[in-house]
Amino acid sequence: MYGFEALTFNIHGGYLEAIVRGHRSGLLTAADYNNLCQCETLEDIKMHLSATEYGPYLQNEPSPLHTTTIVEKCTLKLVDEYKQMLCQATEPLSTFLEYITYGHMIDNVVLIVTGTLHERDVQELLEKCHPLGMFDSIATLAVAQNMKELYRLVLVDTPLAPYFSECITSEDLDDMNIEIMRNTLYKAYLEDFYRFCQKLGGATAEIMSDLLAFEADRRAVNITINSIGTELTRDDRRKLYSSFGLLYPYGHEELAVSEDIDQVRAVMEKYPPYQSIFSKLSYGESQLLDKAFYEEEVKRLCLAFEQQFHYAVFFAYMRLREQEIRNLMWISECVAQNQKSRVHDSVVFIF
Amino acid sequence: MESSENGRESNEGISVKEENILNFLDSVDGYLILMDSLSSTLRQGWLELASARHSMGASRINSTLFDLKLHPASTTLQVNDQSAAPDRELPHFTLCKWASSNNPEKYFEEAKFGEDELLKKSNSLRHRDISHNSEIQARSPESVGSPVTVDDQAEKERYKSLSMFGTLVSPKLRASQLSFETALEMLVEVSNMRASLLCAHDQVQKDMETATK
Repeated sequence: MYGFEALTFNIHGGYLEAIVRGHRSGLLTAADYNNLCQCETLEDIKMHLSATEYGPYLQNEPSPLHTTTIVEKCTLKLVDEYKQMLCQATEPLSTFLEYITYGHMIDNVVLIVTGTLHERDVQELLEKCHPLGMFDSIATLAVAQNMKELYRLVLVDTPLAPYFSECITSEDLDDMNIEIMRNTLYKAYLEDFYRFCQKLGGATAEIMSDLLAFEADRRAVNITINSIGTELTRDDRRKLYSSFGLLYPYGHEELAVSEDIDQVRAVMEKYPPYQSIFSKLSYGESQLLDKAFYEEEVKRLCLAFEQQFHYAVFFAYMRLREQEIRNLMWISECVAQNQKSRVHDSVVFIF
Repeated sequence: MESSENGRESNEGISVKEENILNFLDSVDGYLILMDSLSSTLRQGWLELASARHSMGASRINSTLFDLKLHPASTTLQVNDQSAAPDRELPHFTLCKWASSNNPEKYFEEAKFGEDELLKKSNSLRHRDISHNSEIQARSPESVGSPVTVDDQAEKERYKSLSMFGTLVSPKLRASQLSFETALEMLVEVSNMRASLLCAHDQVQKDMETATK
């Protein structure tokens, strides 16, 4: 019953909640970002990060550094923390933590299938996969010719199996089918995660519903904008939207028929939580939309830590770390390309 | 009478030499402006690509997704054979963009129009125009009245080339594609400008050698 988690949560979840709150305090602050934004070279960035929790992961990297190396090592730190928490977790927290990684699993599946379609070497593709989304039979994905084989040979034994029921066809895999498969899988995953959180109930259900609804709405907007001018039909576009969220169902109906960014804006401005996002953009502009959405997401994720005795802090921490890694990637790219004046275009401060 | 005719001839000779020098300096100026524009367009393209990677994720934008299957080039470069046009001393480069198997000549003609414009400019004295830089930056295949007009086929070819990263890609990736496309056009302009620059340089050198004899 909601409100009584304080009596029982700490029995199984108290230690890990304390761990994750400790990890949260290690997130980079605005002062750290200001120092990083003033770096002249990637070696300077490495030197500044050596004073943070990323230090041990970067200290042995030889020069010259590359931006992808910085991102890989920072991601390794996140993976290590996640695995430490997962091995200590009991049900249902362990299932909750596994749900957090299914999005990366979907990305890895699509990467392998797309790369195989383009006649790339499987080992090369495996090196580019996100470590949080790895599973044992992932290399076997290269054998499949269509989605039925993909499911039958590999994915039937993975957590993604239930999400395939909506996209199993005998059509050969091509770029459009793969894209629809990606978005259909992610839609099914989000809906499943949402239902799981609702079953958990209490503060977890309340906070995660808000976070997942925001994620579903953001995906709907991104799918709409990215599909403008492409061959994706309105019906296919509508099928990719999740069946929950603030925009469901009327906002989705309007987004499905939107043909440009201004029409998308007109739809979103009817919903008060998204008015503030679109008010930061000028008409016809979509370049800063990503940053505006990330800023709103960070605000909501930070609010999750204001309450105790729920699992949403784990989700929030993972997402905040991923945002931090995105920030570091952007700063590194701006420094490497000698474009430091553009560094604040995409950096989202967390604290 | 003869001395006045000789004087007129030498005055004309001097003005031709001065014109050659001015042509050379004009070509150098045009070449440097183009190189500067090319550098800034390429920088913009690389940053937009990084922005697209930041937006879509590193797993969606990386070199392992490049298509290694054999397919025809969507853009080709043609070098005019000097024997076919003996009146032309300069090698001439022409870009054939987004050529389809149905209509390979169409874009060739449209792209060539831009190069002919450039040749006309290089053959006459060019006044320094500080807006030339912004014209090149602003000129995009989508602008109305630009030398290379965009139609559905070009848009389809453009999306097809981006489909290796997925069919629903961020507008930032498309902007990056346009920047690199513009940079490619500029490269061809730079090559043509360099050819006229070298020709003008040879002319000036000949004049100097004649003057010293």
